[in-house]
Amino acid sequence: MATKTEAVSIWDLPVRVTHWSLAVLVPIMWITAENSLWYWHTRTGHVVLALLIFRVIWGFVGTDTARFASFVRGPARVLAYLRGDYDAKREVGHNPLGALAVIAMLSVIAAQVGMGLFAGDPYDGATGPLNALVGVGTADWITDTHEWFVYVVFGMIALHLTAIAIYVGVRRQKLVGPMVVGKGEVAAGVEGNSRASLGRFLGAAVVAVGVAVWVWFGAWPLG
Amino acid sequence: MTRTAIVRLIAATPLIALLGACSGEATEDAGPEEGPAAGGEPPAEIAQRQDNYEAIGDSFKTIREQLEGEAPDMAAIQTAAADINTRLQRIPDLFPEGTSMEAGYDTEALAAIWEDPDGFAEATQNAIAASEEMMAAAATGDAAAVGEQVGNLGLNGCKACHDKFRVDDD
Repeated sequence: MATKTEAVSIWDLPVRVTHWSLAVLVPIMWITAENSLWYWHTRTGHVVLALLIFRVIWGFVGTDTARFASFVRGPARVLAYLRGDYDAKREVGHNPLGALAVIAMLSVIAAQVGMGLFAGDPYDGATGPLNALVGVGTADWITDTHEWFVYVVFGMIALHLTAIAIYVGVRRQKLVGPMVVGKGEVAAGVEGNSRASLGRFLGAAVVAVGVAVWVWFGAWPLG
Repeated sequence: MTRTAIVRLIAATPLIALLGACSGEATEDAGPEEGPAAGGEPPAEIAQRQDNYEAIGDSFKTIREQLEGEAPDMAAIQTAAADINTRLQRIPDLFPEGTSMEAGYDTEALAAIWEDPDGFAEATQNAIAASEEMMAAAATGDAAAVGEQVGNLGLNGCKACHDKFRVDDD
């Protein structure tokens, strides 16, 4: 049975750049920490922070498939999806189950980056820029948690890669290509993603970078 | 970047392999190619000094935490200050030659420790001296004086030595 398909846009450029940047930078965060390269760990961490802030803003003002409101579904839809009531050729964007994974992935990385901002000890090497905002005991607890929480991040990545392997290998869905080039094959007549607005992109990017820079310099007047 | 760092970086690049193993510790102590310790145990002093510094850090944090509160527990501060002093005096025995990071061990101790033994001895003595001043301040029961010594010990003791003799590139 050959359904007639055509290529439509699925993921906008900002979503793809954010995704692949995280795919590269999260391992770099771990490697720099393992090798005590704190100069790079703290700086790269702020790039990750900016990416996360951007992705969250983009989740409200971005294209259709980037918006949380378009892909985060209630339990009924997730259950329906699990029962097989979903046609990947007729839907563009995250499926209801994958949507939960997106939220979980962003939350786990955000928690890790958030802890990093407070971690460290001023007399014992590098510190996050907000370290002085919390007490010594709190900072110590956050630092310890930040150290083991990386395994939660790894677990989430492992889940992500396993899911992709299953979808690609067993269900024969082409997931990786669209995340690279943006387009993917869907049933003829199914509408693709909306177009990205340059103005909204620039607005989101400026806010994201601005907040990350503000945090880097100690989050005045909080700091 | 140091050589170990590069070796580890290369070893760590296939993150997926790590995820398959599902345990970060695997790479930590994996390679037989990592260091002269291949096949044998690393010198016990490495773990001993790491535990020692960890304990010094804990006692130092105890003091700083007490000072953050309304009514610092002077007895706890005195105990912690004495503990720091005792442990700092063990440092000279915990750095046998050839146990640097450059020698391939899983440590942040730089070869500079043995290249500049006088400098390392001086840095250690500075820290011990600062810890004695801390003990004296704690004995007076004056929280403000202890607070001053936190800065002195932290900057002139701990940090001054870390900056020269420990991997620390922030």
